[in-house]
Amino acid sequence: MSRPSTLRNLAWLWFAATIAILMFAFRQAIFLVPTEATMGNLQRIFYYHLPHAVLGLVFPYVNFVASLAFLYWRRRDPLKALSADALAVASAEVTVLFVGIGLASGMLWGKPAWGIWWAWDARLTTYLLLWLLYVSYLLLRRFIPSSQTSTLSAVLSVFAAIDVPIVFMSIRWWRTQHPAPVFGGNGSLDPSFYPAVLWNLGGWLMWGIFILLFRFALERRRQLAEQEAALQAIEASLETPQ
Amino acid sequence: MTWHTFFDFSTMSHRHLVFVYVGVWIVQGSYLAWMLRQWTRTKAPHA
Repeated sequence: MSRPSTLRNLAWLWFAATIAILMFAFRQAIFLVPTEATMGNLQRIFYYHLPHAVLGLVFPYVNFVASLAFLYWRRRDPLKALSADALAVASAEVTVLFVGIGLASGMLWGKPAWGIWWAWDARLTTYLLLWLLYVSYLLLRRFIPSSQTSTLSAVLSVFAAIDVPIVFMSIRWWRTQHPAPVFGGNGSLDPSFYPAVLWNLGGWLMWGIFILLFRFALERRRQLAEQEAALQAIEASLETPQ
Repeated sequence: MTWHTFFDFSTMSHRHLVFVYVGVWIVQGSYLAWMLRQWTRTKAPHA
């Protein structure tokens, strides 16, 4: 069996397992875990909000490491640098997706629970800033056509990653409208809710890995197509009769 | 909770619950669909 078809089969298998786990997790979250005493069924938003919010703090680190690798390899090994750049752009897009969903689902929870869509507290503000940083990263890549765009965006990514530990620690450092940490904090979660939390966290992690790798493969395909087109253009110019 | 009460739009809490669960699948599915479309439109490299 050739390597690409093995990878394709593995991807299909991973995708099927992810969908199965997400279906099971949905059933846990909506139908099986008990209804929370104070917020009622509204609390079930938490089972989709938490995985997206947490993974929105993981993918920026993939982007950070890929950007550092790009900066290290850009002169030493340009081919490896291209792969690192592809992983950086893939992880930045997935970050925007997950943080965006984290923000939107939080707002949809906040309005019925707190009576407000938004509060400029430390957690929400730093999380919005994180989303804006990665949106600006993608806009920089999209609208500044320069040979230095990858380098500039890699430097921006290193600065953007600084926001991640600030977001994570914000509910520990400051008093916020956002609830306290649900694991090991003051807002501890009842163990009866664990199955829904953990199955959804696992399912969305698998989904996130799948779309990250698919986006990476797409970016590599685009890079290779561009390289081939450039080579063909050079060959064509050399064959032009003098 | 049952399917019937899941799709109960009588209160803001219930509406927002459905918006989140349906919205997440629509957004994630749309992103996957966009990638699939780009994949088919990008020329495969020669081996």
